[in-house]
Amino acid sequence: MSFLAPMAFAFAAAIPVVILFYLLKRKRVVKLVSSTLLWQKFLAESQASAPFQKLRHNWLLVLQLLLLILVILALARPFFAGEIKGGRLLVAILDASASMQSTDEVPSRFEKARREALALVDNLTDTDQMVVLLAGGNTEVKQSPTGNKAALRRALQAAVPSDSPTRLTEALKLAQPLVRDRVGGEIHLFSDGAVSGLEEFEFEGLNVVFHRVGQRAENAGIVTLDVRSNPEDPTRRALFTSVFNASSNIVRTEVELLLDGQLVEARPVEIPPRETLPEVFFAGQTNDGVFTVRLASPDDLAADNEASIVSLLPQPARVLLVSRGNRFLERALAAVPSAEVTVVTDLADSAADFDITVLDDVLPAAWPSNNVLAIRSAPTNWVEITGRAEAPAIVDWRTTHPLLRFVTFDNVQISEALTVVPPGWATPIVEAPGGPLILAGEIGRQRVVWLAFDTLQSTWPLRVSFPIFIANVLDWLNPVTARAAQFLVQAGAPLRLPLDGTVTNAVVRLPNGEERRLTLDPAVRELVFGETGRRGVYQIELGNRRFTFCANLLDAPETDTTPRSEVRFGKYAAVAAAEARPANVEIWRWIALAGLAILMFEWWFYHKRTA
Amino acid sequence: MPLLTADLLRRLEQLQLLAQRRARSVSRGERRSRARGQSVEFADHRNYVFGDDLRYLDWNLYGRLDRLFLKLYEEERELPVRIFLDASESMAFGEPVKFDFARQVAAAVGYVALCGFDRVTILPFPENPGEAVARSGLRAVRGRRSAMGMFQNLAQLTARGAADLNAALRRGAIEARQTGLAVVLSDFLDPAGYETGLDALVGRGFQVDVVHILAPEELAPTTYGDLRLVDSETGAQQEVTFGKYRLAAYQRTVQAFCQRLREFCAGRGITYFLASSATPLEDLLLKQLRAAEVWR
Repeated sequence: MSFLAPMAFAFAAAIPVVILFYLLKRKRVVKLVSSTLLWQKFLAESQASAPFQKLRHNWLLVLQLLLLILVILALARPFFAGEIKGGRLLVAILDASASMQSTDEVPSRFEKARREALALVDNLTDTDQMVVLLAGGNTEVKQSPTGNKAALRRALQAAVPSDSPTRLTEALKLAQPLVRDRVGGEIHLFSDGAVSGLEEFEFEGLNVVFHRVGQRAENAGIVTLDVRSNPEDPTRRALFTSVFNASSNIVRTEVELLLDGQLVEARPVEIPPRETLPEVFFAGQTNDGVFTVRLASPDDLAADNEASIVSLLPQPARVLLVSRGNRFLERALAAVPSAEVTVVTDLADSAADFDITVLDDVLPAAWPSNNVLAIRSAPTNWVEITGRAEAPAIVDWRTTHPLLRFVTFDNVQISEALTVVPPGWATPIVEAPGGPLILAGEIGRQRVVWLAFDTLQSTWPLRVSFPIFIANVLDWLNPVTARAAQFLVQAGAPLRLPLDGTVTNAVVRLPNGEERRLTLDPAVRELVFGETGRRGVYQIELGNRRFTFCANLLDAPETDTTPRSEVRFGKYAAVAAAEARPANVEIWRWIALAGLAILMFEWWFYHKRTA
Repeated sequence: MPLLTADLLRRLEQLQLLAQRRARSVSRGERRSRARGQSVEFADHRNYVFGDDLRYLDWNLYGRLDRLFLKLYEEERELPVRIFLDASESMAFGEPVKFDFARQVAAAVGYVALCGFDRVTILPFPENPGEAVARSGLRAVRGRRSAMGMFQNLAQLTARGAADLNAALRRGAIEARQTGLAVVLSDFLDPAGYETGLDALVGRGFQVDVVHILAPEELAPTTYGDLRLVDSETGAQQEVTFGKYRLAAYQRTVQAFCQRLREFCAGRGITYFLASSATPLEDLLLKQLRAAEVWR
C-alpha cells in the first residue's frame, strides 16, 4: 500500500493533543458532605455491577484515537497498485448558445442543463472520467478528462451562456476522437436541440445521449438586419429587417427603430405563427451612427429582441472601367448616383487611386489591388478554369445575398460561359449545372465579384435586373460598405480590423461597460478581437481613431427556440431526447449524514446524562 | 426554640418505658427486679434463719405446717437508661439538621424515663472539652424535676469532631455499673463500622434500641454534576459524577446499608428504627416506638 499524500501524517501530531486533553481533569464542583461513606459504597457497587466501568473513560479515548487515525489515514489517500476495469469517458457538451438563455425553464434552459450536468457528475464512479465542453459561438474545453468531481463541478459552475448561435459541429468534432475507440465512451449533449449545421457531421454511430431542456417556444426575434442607401432618395437610409415568430400564436408587438439611442420610428406589427415578417424602415442620417431595431414586447428569449448595425454615410465611389466598349455596362454604371466612372481600355498599374475596378472581358497588364468586378477575366490564382459550357441554364441564385437584392434571372439566356471549380474564398451566387456563373467573396482584403460569362453574350443587359445588379455590385464593392460590413459581426465571431502598424494600444469597450486593453505588436497587420459573445455595441479606440462595431445574434435557427425531441446528425442519424436513463442512484451521502446526526445526538446525550 | 413542645411533653408523661429484663439496679425504683425486698408483689417463700425480720414471717403457713417461713417480696428497682448521642460533625448536616433531631429524640426518651423514676444518662460522643459542664449535667439524671435541667444541657451541645462509634459504645458499656436500656442515636456513617460497639452493649447485657438518623439529602441527593465531595469528619475527598439517572442506584446503596444494619440488629435482639431527620417527631415517638414496644 502506498500513499498519495503522505504529508497528511503530519496530522498525527494531533494524537498527543487528544491524550493531553484526556489527562486534563474535569473541573469539579467541591461540595462538603456529612460523610463520603455512602458515596464510596455507591461507587464500589456501581462499578461492581458494570464490568467495564473502570475502562469506560479509556474506551472513549481509544475510540477517539481510532477515529483520528482513520481520518489521518484517509487524508493520506492510501492506494493499492491494483487493476481495475477502465472506467467510462463521458464528454459533456453544454450548449451555451443564445437560445439556452430562454426563460421557459426556471430560471433558464442553461441553468437547467447545468443542473442536469451536475447530476451526471454526481453519478460518476471513481474510475469514470469526464470532459466538459462549452459549445457557444466557439467551443471551449472547460475541463480536460478527469475523474475529479470538484474540478468538474467548478468547470460547470464557471460556464456562462453567450448570445451567439450554436456551433455544435465544432464541439462534436472535438469529442469524437475522445470517445470513438473507447468502450465506455459517451457523449452527453445538454441542449434544447435548436441547432443547425449538423448536416455535414458524420455521426459514425457515436454513443450520444441527448439531454433535452426547454418546454415551449414563446419567442419572436430579429433574424436579419441590413442598412443601405435608399435607392429612391440618396439622402435617406433604408433599413431592411425581418422578424421571425417561433411560437404557435400570433405575436403583436412594436418594432422600434432607434438611431444612436434616439427613437426614430415605432411600428406596430402582427406576425403570424411560424412566419417571418420583413420590414423596411427609412430614416434620414447626417452622421455615421448606429441603428438599433428593437421588439417592444418581452418574450422568453431576450437576446434576439434587439439588433444594432453601424451605418456609415455613403461616400462616392471612384470606379475605373477597363473595357473595350460596353454601352450597357457604361450606362448601368453611370446610373448609379454615388459612382464617378472613368473608362480606360487597359490597366497598366494596380489602380490604387480608384475604389473599384471593373474588368470587362479584358486581360489587364497589371491586376488591380482594389475591389474588383471581373467579367470573364481573372488571374489564375483566383479561379481555376476547367473549360467552357455552351448555353448554360441558370438553375439557382441566392436571393438572400446582398448582390442579388431585387435581382431575378428569369428570362436570362447565356450563350457561353467558363466552367470553374468553386474556389474556397468565394460564394457561388448564381449557379448552372456545370458550375457557378457568378462568384462573390474576399481575397485578403480585396472584394471580388466574378462573372463566368460575357454580359454581351447574354440577354441579361436587356433585362431590368442588370442595372440593379450593377448598382448592387457597386454598393457591395464600395469600401465604405465593405467597412460597414466589417463592423457587423455575429455574436461569438471574431472582429477583424486592419492595422497600419502605427498604433500599439487599443481599448475595447464592451456593451456592459467593461474595458479590455490590448497591446498590439507593430508587426501585426490585423486586430482580431474574439470576446464578442455578448450582443450589443462595442467601441474600439485605436490611437485617436474610434470605431464602433455591433455583435448581433441574427440567426433564424437560434430564434426558433422550439425544443426538439431529437437532434439530427448528418442525413440519416438522429438521437432522441433521453428523459431518464438507468443509473445507480447512490444514497451513501444520506446515510453518512444520518451517521453524523447520530454522532452529534450521542454527544449531546452524553452531556445531558452527566449534567 | 424548646426541644420538645409542651403538648408533646404532656403526651410523653403518659408513656412508660418497657424493660424486657428485670432491673438490676441497686437503687430503688418502680421496676420489677430480681432483688427481694419491700413491695406488695409476692415473690417466694424461704426458710427462716436466725436474724430475719420477724415482720415477714408467714404466720398462716406456720399455723398449718408448724414451721417458720419467711415471705419474700419483689423489690422494685429503677431502670438505668443510657442514651448514646452521636455529636460528631457529620450529624451537623441535613435539612433539618440531624443532630437537632437526635437531641429531640434523646430529650423525649430521657423525659419518659425520668417520668418513670428511672435514671437517665446521656452520653454525647466524641469528647468535647468545651462542653464538659453541660455533659456532666447529663449524667445520672433522676427525677422529673431534673428534666428541665437536662433539656437545657442538651440544648448547649454542638456537633463537631470525628467520632469513633465503636469506641464510644464500648466505653459506655464498660463504664455502666448496672445494665439497663441503651438507646443509640446516630447516623452510623462511621468508616470503622458499628459492629463491635453494638456487640459490646449487647454483651454487657443492655437492652439496645437503635435510632438510625439520616438526612433527606443523604437518602436522595439533589446535587448533580461532576463533584468533588469532601468528608466533613475525615476530610477525605471523593470524585464522583452524579446524574439523575444514577439516583436509583444510589438509593439502592443506601437501602443496602440500612438493611445491613437492620439485619445486624435483628440478629442481636436490638430494636432498629430508621428515621429521616425530616420525619415528624410525633410520628417516631408516638407511633413507631410505641409499635415496637419500646414504651407503652
